[in-house]
Amino acid sequence: MADFWKLVQNENMKIYRRLRTWIMLGIVIVSPLIFSTIVYGSSDVHTASNWSVMSFESTVTLALVTLFTVVASADSVAGEFSWGTVKLLLIRPWSRASVLLSKFVSLLLFGLFFSAVTFITSFLVNVLYFGYTGSPSDLDPSWVGHPWTYIGLFYLYKYISLVLIVSFSFMLSSAFRSGGLAIGLSMFLLFAGGIISGILVAFDKAWVKYVLFPHLSLTPYLEGNSPIPGHPTTLGFSLAVLAVYFVIFNLVSWSVFTKRDIAA
Amino acid sequence: MSQSPVVRLMDVSKRIGGRTIIDRVSLEVNSGEVFGFLGPNGSGKTTTIRMMVGLMALSGGDIQIAGHSIKTEFPQAITQVGAIVENPEMYKFLTGYQNLLHYARMNPGVTEQRIHEVVKLVGLSERIHDKVSKYSLGMRQRLGVAQAVIHRPKLLVLDEPTNGLDPAGIRELRDYLRLLAREEGTAVFVSSHMLSEMELMCDRVAILQKGQIIDIRSIRAAVEETTHTAENVLFEVDHPDAALGVLEGHSSGRVEDGALIVTADRSTVASINRRLVEAGINVYGIRVKSKSLEDQFLEVTAGDTIG
Repeated sequence: MADFWKLVQNENMKIYRRLRTWIMLGIVIVSPLIFSTIVYGSSDVHTASNWSVMSFESTVTLALVTLFTVVASADSVAGEFSWGTVKLLLIRPWSRASVLLSKFVSLLLFGLFFSAVTFITSFLVNVLYFGYTGSPSDLDPSWVGHPWTYIGLFYLYKYISLVLIVSFSFMLSSAFRSGGLAIGLSMFLLFAGGIISGILVAFDKAWVKYVLFPHLSLTPYLEGNSPIPGHPTTLGFSLAVLAVYFVIFNLVSWSVFTKRDIAA
Repeated sequence: MSQSPVVRLMDVSKRIGGRTIIDRVSLEVNSGEVFGFLGPNGSGKTTTIRMMVGLMALSGGDIQIAGHSIKTEFPQAITQVGAIVENPEMYKFLTGYQNLLHYARMNPGVTEQRIHEVVKLVGLSERIHDKVSKYSLGMRQRLGVAQAVIHRPKLLVLDEPTNGLDPAGIRELRDYLRLLAREEGTAVFVSSHMLSEMELMCDRVAILQKGQIIDIRSIRAAVEETTHTAENVLFEVDHPDAALGVLEGHSSGRVEDGALIVTADRSTVASINRRLVEAGINVYGIRVKSKSLEDQFLEVTAGDTIG
């Protein structure tokens, strides 16, 4: 286990020793600052609470975090092929499955780290601008719990969909060894998901609720809604659907990566 | 030193899409031996090497490294192997040291001290903390050697190692490989299409053509053999035709490209030389006109057409 951690350390080194990672981190830190400043300057301070601004700007910033994690994941496998380094990476006393797992773990940590940075920056800047509210707030009329619970679940749901999108991009990265394709299609999944969900609602078919897209957005459950209007589903059901897609994506990544001849 | 082979290829075949790329290749490399793998471009050298290091699956046969099958005991087999497959590609955004650290972490028992030792060995101490993107091809080749030997493998596999090296670099590499084989008993497997290079570096060579081994021969033995048998010997003299006349009745010879060629063994060469000098002919040089590996290689692969 200690030895496996060394593989993750290697992957981390390849992520964080690159300038672009720090540029991405800079963007993640700066964007809540810009959003909050705009809200502060343009609205009546009394109508905005630190929580409502935080959840709004976190939606945007976490989409950026997902994008950046996808970029890192696209390079993680496809990059090794285009750099040619995969030949030296795979001739070590480790199974290909272990190498792939270490890459996946490093990406989950990357997403976690960036999400945490978003949380901290966004929380601090909004408390600074709007003060701290400890009571159930104007987050959502139906929400009666503590704001911390709301924002905690909000981040958890966002992180779950990040894991799914990264699994998808990781699959494309190892199956097609094309970083560009992995980034492009994953972004499509991230941004077109809402539109496709809207179209799917129009079909009054039972299979609609088994499609991945709507379940990538779990936050409607916080307001007591379903991600697919007109198709009432439970959180447990959504998580089960996501789990099935998660397993499929990773099975494809694993089976392709562990069997294929390396001719790069 | 045990004489069981470090690596053993047994009827190794590779078929891709119905075409047989490698056809029942068998060979063994012993501890302390530098083995050359020679063949024209497209003969299947790199494919064989990829199978030896587990990057490609075998279609038939098996490869054993230190007694472990690359197919069924991959970690045990590969831990004995250090390799450069084609160009030494490194992470360019990392420093040389970070690249070595990366590979050191993947092998059990490689200490930080060992990294420094290897860096010194390949002569990169001055530049090891520079990014690889700033390295010349020769420096990358050295870093490639460093990552290949960092875990003290029993088998070192190098694919076209002299590509991109200047003559001094080639010589240095050659000396280092011979040292590794002699001092540490490493089996060195080197592929190349540079024949004369192989001749200087290797103990034995296998010649590969269209995926089949057509000959395996010992280079040292071939050199020794020639000292006891008659050979074509070239005399560089000022008057070759006159020289031929002097030898008439003693040795048969011919004049070729302004030089005298005689078939003779060692003692005869000495007596011919004495006769020539006594007859007042200036002898500028005497050398054995042996067939180089290149001649042999071209002979063996003669009439080869691509495809």
